[in-house]
Amino acid sequence: MSLPLLPVWIADLLGSALMCCFALLAMQVATRLRRTDPNNVVWTYLLWLCYALTAFALSRSVGHIARRLLLSLGCQDLWRSLQPVSGAVNSLLFVVVASFTLFFERVWRIYQEILADKRALQTAHGELLYLNRHLERLVEDRTRELSVSERKYHRIFETSQDLIMVTAADGLILDLNNAGTRMLGVSSTAQAVRKLRFKDFLANETEWDELAARLMRDGAISNAELRLQGLDGRSFPALTSAKAEQPEPGAASAGIHFLIKDISKRQVMEKQLLLADKLSSIGQLAAGVAHEVNNPLGMILGYTQLLIRAENSGTQRYDDLRTIEKHTRTCKAIVERLLNFARSTQTLREPGDIHQLIDEVLNLLKHSLEMDQIVLEKDYDARVPLLPLDKGKMRQVFMNLLVNARQAIGKQGMIRLATHFDADRKEVMVQVQDSGCGIQPEHLNRIFDPFFTTKATGDGTGLGLSVSYGIVQDHKGQILVTSAPEKGTTFTVILPILTLETDQPS
Amino acid sequence: MRKTTRFGPFFLGTSLLALMIPGTAAATQVHVPSEGLYIHQIAHLFFALSMAILLYWLRQRQLVRERGWRLIQLAALFFIIWNVDAFLVHILDDRSDLFRTIDAGTWHASIEFERKVELLALFYYLGKMDHLLCAPGMILLYFGLRNLLHEAQRHPESHGITATGDEHLPPSPAPDRSLSCSDQG
Repeated sequence: MSLPLLPVWIADLLGSALMCCFALLAMQVATRLRRTDPNNVVWTYLLWLCYALTAFALSRSVGHIARRLLLSLGCQDLWRSLQPVSGAVNSLLFVVVASFTLFFERVWRIYQEILADKRALQTAHGELLYLNRHLERLVEDRTRELSVSERKYHRIFETSQDLIMVTAADGLILDLNNAGTRMLGVSSTAQAVRKLRFKDFLANETEWDELAARLMRDGAISNAELRLQGLDGRSFPALTSAKAEQPEPGAASAGIHFLIKDISKRQVMEKQLLLADKLSSIGQLAAGVAHEVNNPLGMILGYTQLLIRAENSGTQRYDDLRTIEKHTRTCKAIVERLLNFARSTQTLREPGDIHQLIDEVLNLLKHSLEMDQIVLEKDYDARVPLLPLDKGKMRQVFMNLLVNARQAIGKQGMIRLATHFDADRKEVMVQVQDSGCGIQPEHLNRIFDPFFTTKATGDGTGLGLSVSYGIVQDHKGQILVTSAPEKGTTFTVILPILTLETDQPS
Repeated sequence: MRKTTRFGPFFLGTSLLALMIPGTAAATQVHVPSEGLYIHQIAHLFFALSMAILLYWLRQRQLVRERGWRLIQLAALFFIIWNVDAFLVHILDDRSDLFRTIDAGTWHASIEFERKVELLALFYYLGKMDHLLCAPGMILLYFGLRNLLHEAQRHPESHGITATGDEHLPPSPAPDRSLSCSDQG
């Protein structure tokens, strides 16, 4: 069997021509591709691969075509001498193409790394460009933000109602806010402040050593109660927190930041709360006792009156029964006042003129004051508005205060009644000042206690001020007292301006 | 304790003995004609292997998702088949016991063979038309490169290469366009 070789030769010749043609075309495209980005290592690699493939295609195709031509022309000898050279070159170019091809993975990896570096450089470049173009604006923005921040913290420092202070490690004051200068009674100039030490303001100077030791050990102290004394001589309890600053690298020592709160008012309030609690307990106890005692007293009084009715007047027995009746009535009066004190009757407030109310009480006492040659001074503030008052109860308050003032003066003296309207604090103050004997300092804390009295037996029950205290508290107010022995006493009733609907300060 | 073996005296003795009994010198190897064919065949296999590796990398890096690289992959495949075909045909070229070329070198030359090797002869006959494999490979390479060129011209910023498959590369840093300041209040 046989097969003609002509189709093989035709395929050989045409294929060789096509190989040459497309190899050259591929090389041309690869050249153009590289020109799009000469730095692209993949394109360079493809170009070199195309060079190798073109060389291979040309070598092989030229060899094949030459073979056909030489054999057709009968130049077998010439071909026989060229054939080994052509074959060797072909083999060599196979190896070259294969070697180039194997470098693809390495080239690709290098390309990716270059690409990543390029991206990073482009990002950095873009960022630098942005900063160059906008640096001025960015700095301005940042400066503005810092300025706002600085103002905010400075405002907190300046407007704080508590003392804020920065000292050196040895306690030398470096900075002190306005509240601090007020509290310590020092001049607010920076120069004056910076000569002082915190130690100088401690009522007990030895406390500084303990304070410094704690700061050194723990780095901070929290809510330590100290007694401070200002340059003006005012002594007050203070709640002190402090934090030792971490020293900057290279700095010799760190500063200390103090935050100090004046707690004198809080302590007064705590005492008042304690008093209110005590009054409440005593009131409950007294109410129980009074209720039990009231009925037997009624029986004693009733039977005593029956016996008086059956006895002729003028006899010794009649006088004795009258004495029993009198003292039983006194007992009943005490018990009733005690019950009034203990009963929490509802306070009914309606708008009332405080001046008119005080005058009504004065009218009742006018005669007895004149009898004792006591001068009455009135200093009413015309701006005082109408106040929501339980008139009956408030009359009782001023009656108690004025009777106490009259009893403290005895004969010849002065009682001054003054009112004042504080529009800022929305309060009305009523002062009852007398020139009497005053109250001993040791009694001052007890004068609002029930049954506490310094009067002679029978002159006072010790319930007047307790009852008054309760009434003023029902009106959301305060009753304060200042007194100096032999110089007189001043009671101050402070009433807030409340709205009737909410009972809240308006 | 380190154990040492002394070979010096042995080599010296052997060398002296060889000098005393000289024979035929074989300093340069003589090359036989078949050596050229072997080299050529090995070159074909090396060519095929390198193309197979290229094909593997193109797929592994997911470059074949793009048309240009896909065509280059097909070109590599054709070159592999061509090399295998050429390798086998070169082996069969030497089998004069199976095939005889009549009127070699003329336009009416033919191959004669026995009926019993008809299929092998048919493979040999078709295999000799190896340009049917290598020419399409070259054409596919051309079209693949042309496609890459178009892509590169269309998207210069992507460098004509979008598929990378290189997740291990470090990501580029995100730009931060604000001034840093540690003591912000």
